[in-house]
Amino acid sequence: MTATVRVAPEDGSDATAPARPVPRRPSRPATSRPSSWYLLPAALFFGVFAAFPLVLVVFLSFTSWEGIGDPALIGLDNWVRLVGDARVLDVVGTTLLLTVLGWATQTPIALLLGVWAAGPQRNRAILSSIFFLPLLLSSAAVALMWSRLLDPYFGLAAEFGPFQNILGTPSGALAAIVFVTGWQFIPFHTLLYQAAARNVPKVLYDAATIDGATRWHMFWYITLPQLRNTIITSSTIMVVGSLTYFETILLLTNGGPGTSTYTVPFEMYIRGFRSFEFGYASAIATVLVVVATAISLIIVKFSGFAKMRSTMEGM
Amino acid sequence: MSTLPRRKFLGLVGAGVGAGLVGTTASGCGTDATGGGGDGGEQMQIWVLQEEAQNVAHRVALDSFNSDAEVRGRLVSTSNDGYRDKLHTAMGSADNAPDVFYNWGGGSIRSYARDDLLVDLTPHLEQDQAWKDKFIPSVLDAGMIDGKYYGIPARGMQPIILFYNKAVLADHDLQPPTTWDELLAASDRLSGNGVIPFALAGGDAWCELVWPEYLVDRIGGPEVFRAIAAGEEGAWRHPALIRSMNMITDLVERGGFGDSFASVRWEGGGASTLIAQGQAGMHLMGSWEYTNQVTDQPEYAANDLGFADFPAVDGGVGDPKAIVGNPTNYFSISKSSPNVDAALEFLRTEMASDAYIDAWLKAGDVPATTNLEARMDAAANRDYAELVYNMVVDAPSFQLSWDQAVERHLAQPMLDALAKVFLGQLDAEGFVAANENAAK
Amino acid sequence: MTVVSDVSVSGPVSTPPKERPNRIAGVFAAIWLVIVGVPIYTMVSWSLQERDDFLDNGPVALPSAITLENFTEVVTGGFARYLLNTVIVTVACVVLTLAVAIPAAYAIVRSTSWLSGFAFRIFLLGLAIPAQATIIPLYLIINRMQLYDSLTAIILPTVAFGLPLSILVLAGSLRDVSNELYDAMTIDGAGPFRILWQLVVPMSRGSIAAVGTYAALGAWNQFLFPLILTQNPDLRVLTLGLQRFRQEFQINLPGMMMAVMLTALPVFVLYLVARRWLIAGLAGMGSR
Repeated sequence: MTATVRVAPEDGSDATAPARPVPRRPSRPATSRPSSWYLLPAALFFGVFAAFPLVLVVFLSFTSWEGIGDPALIGLDNWVRLVGDARVLDVVGTTLLLTVLGWATQTPIALLLGVWAAGPQRNRAILSSIFFLPLLLSSAAVALMWSRLLDPYFGLAAEFGPFQNILGTPSGALAAIVFVTGWQFIPFHTLLYQAAARNVPKVLYDAATIDGATRWHMFWYITLPQLRNTIITSSTIMVVGSLTYFETILLLTNGGPGTSTYTVPFEMYIRGFRSFEFGYASAIATVLVVVATAISLIIVKFSGFAKMRSTMEGM
Repeated sequence: MSTLPRRKFLGLVGAGVGAGLVGTTASGCGTDATGGGGDGGEQMQIWVLQEEAQNVAHRVALDSFNSDAEVRGRLVSTSNDGYRDKLHTAMGSADNAPDVFYNWGGGSIRSYARDDLLVDLTPHLEQDQAWKDKFIPSVLDAGMIDGKYYGIPARGMQPIILFYNKAVLADHDLQPPTTWDELLAASDRLSGNGVIPFALAGGDAWCELVWPEYLVDRIGGPEVFRAIAAGEEGAWRHPALIRSMNMITDLVERGGFGDSFASVRWEGGGASTLIAQGQAGMHLMGSWEYTNQVTDQPEYAANDLGFADFPAVDGGVGDPKAIVGNPTNYFSISKSSPNVDAALEFLRTEMASDAYIDAWLKAGDVPATTNLEARMDAAANRDYAELVYNMVVDAPSFQLSWDQAVERHLAQPMLDALAKVFLGQLDAEGFVAANENAAK
Repeated sequence: MTVVSDVSVSGPVSTPPKERPNRIAGVFAAIWLVIVGVPIYTMVSWSLQERDDFLDNGPVALPSAITLENFTEVVTGGFARYLLNTVIVTVACVVLTLAVAIPAAYAIVRSTSWLSGFAFRIFLLGLAIPAQATIIPLYLIINRMQLYDSLTAIILPTVAFGLPLSILVLAGSLRDVSNELYDAMTIDGAGPFRILWQLVVPMSRGSIAAVGTYAALGAWNQFLFPLILTQNPDLRVLTLGLQRFRQEFQINLPGMMMAVMLTALPVFVLYLVARRWLIAGLAGMGSR
């Protein structure tokens, strides 16, 4: 992975970001260059509050700590317990299910909307700005708004029979989470696709039109391949995001009904900050890190991180 | 009903920490912005829950205390949802621990007592018999841990009461049930007529917990849960537990809670509104439900709100007068507080003062003090105050809510398993097994 | 910033031919409009009704009478304090993020030391760290640093977790500054700091604005760190305040909706006056 990381995009194949020069070649010695000290403040911040905690969480997973006093080393106890904990398996399953469902619903919708919104008509611009309104709300606000809208007796749900008890059934609550997170995040991904669709060279469509291609053919054989890198970027963001939904779970379903919408971060929160089993919660957090990193690495492996990075830099 | 409840604003009393402190924080120089226990010592932090009734009464006590005190107190209120988490985190560091804090006794402070973080009040109470005599002994004793007092009753007694909407029951020609069979019959009639028999905020499992608490007590008596709380081997396997879970499943399947209870959250106030609006007939809930209704639905509270004992269960050995709930809440003092003397003085002078008792009574709460009968005139609803008072005085036992009584790490698994019983995902056997597994 | 600027300044048009209207996509767009529009309409409509009217009217009806009572209630109910705290956190996060990310990006692009390449890789890996997973150790660290229950406790980790993307974006735009410009400044006798200040910063104003917006949104919407790392009601930020409003407002759904709307109002204003930077920042937000 290190190799790909260092490689900056070299050509224009990435539709979403123009090629950038790689000015690493040594220039004339006279040029004054910043010393590495310029990195120090950022490194300190990142080291103390992001990288070190990541190491510490692994350490804590080998301790017992109730939040008071010092963590006490207990060896592998938490991990032995974790392996035999059917609940954790459930929770990981729910998390992966939410991730897959989220990806499978958000990607096609965002893709279609993005391509549509890339069109030049005036009304599209106005509609697009309505589309993006959910982006202005924080996750907490979105979750609280929907928790009120889905109130079985006093909310919108009360007006639509089948949805009245949506948060009261396991599959309904999962669907509600997929819907609410989609409502919140699809606009963002639409934004990515809209920008990318605008950058598809027009000549490709002109040529296809001359050949008598249908709209469907053009979408399938021109637009989609041209958006490949954006799909990868968007999917990565979606997947890593879905693994870490927290506010939506806490404020919308509180893990319920029963435990059917417990996700890994929520389980960690409950174990830690409600049951005060911080050691065990740290073991769960470690699982979260491993799963998130593994998925990111898999995506990188199959897609090439440099392309994603260039897309991000393009922002 | 047109005026909106004042409770909304009261949580903000005690906005004492000035913008100055916040300013230093923002500049990133890392001072402790709470000005917590260790800072200067001229202020004593008193942590309470954010609730109108409670904040009014505590303010009365505090104003009285602050009027001539060297160390002035300051209320810090936190919502019910986050209070225990916040307390626990703060207790972890001496600098942030509150001087005086509100708690539920039992499991909520057991670990603090064990870790020697609390002031043992026993010698102080023994030295000052007059102070001790001001509180109902059974309630004061309910706050004992390992034979020592760590808490002074700090608010009303909160038994779980069967509330009912008089108009709804009358419309369907029903009386409040006195036996489980009557309860089932009433439930069937109401649900048959399109009324939800029992309002239930099933999105929060602690609202469901009141059902097994009463059923187990009625069927097997208080010993059953005492053994569970003490962690005795096989205690969860008591037949009373199995039977009560089966009864709950039966009631759920009969539609006793309607079909959408699982998506009602306590925080939305949905369950209370359902009964107030006559969409539900009854509501098994703590006495705070009454206080909330007085504030939020004054018309209903004045005209149609009825209350009754939980019904008896055929063949049960438990006393039908026994109650469950929160005997009271307590104020405890952190040992690390630089203001222990001031804190003791606060609890000694204010917790049974006439003004404090009156403030509670006026708000609809019934404090656990012995001179209560003399002050009943102050009660918002005398009938209700006397009912609670008599309920407690007559009760042979007052079982602390299960989630407060058990060890902290066992509470969540218990609540989770109970929620599944209500959803029909677990049977009685599964419930027992889940609790036993959690304790392993 | 290419992607984003294309969004707002609908630049050189290059789209599928539009002789035939794309009906299928249009239908999808209409459905999505309803999905987005109805809840937002509902939120606005509820928030302008009195509670009792709302209960009588039902959730979807037009308000029978419009009131600003909920507004008053939310604002007097602590909103101002939460807003102030949020503004303090937001400003501090933006200033700190820019103050450390710009020099770091500068060093990464211009320094020839192996350290800068190494640091860049570490920061890139940081993109994948889920903040949720580090909350327990963070809680321990913040406690040991005596920072628990202060706004600083929210600010420091928020900045740290925003750095990877900020540095990535800034480095990307710094690479566009040509070597000739650096050389020219050097010949003028400028040291690295002057170059940073007089060349790098002016040349990457766009990215700096976007990164600043990104940092601001991250701080504005932060929920987990305040939830875990503070307890004092005087230090509540808006997101936590909302949670409290839900409890306080109970069945007063209109009041709750007003509170939700008000937390988004400043972002909405930004949307109107500086749409371009806002969307750039949002793009960053979504990727965290």
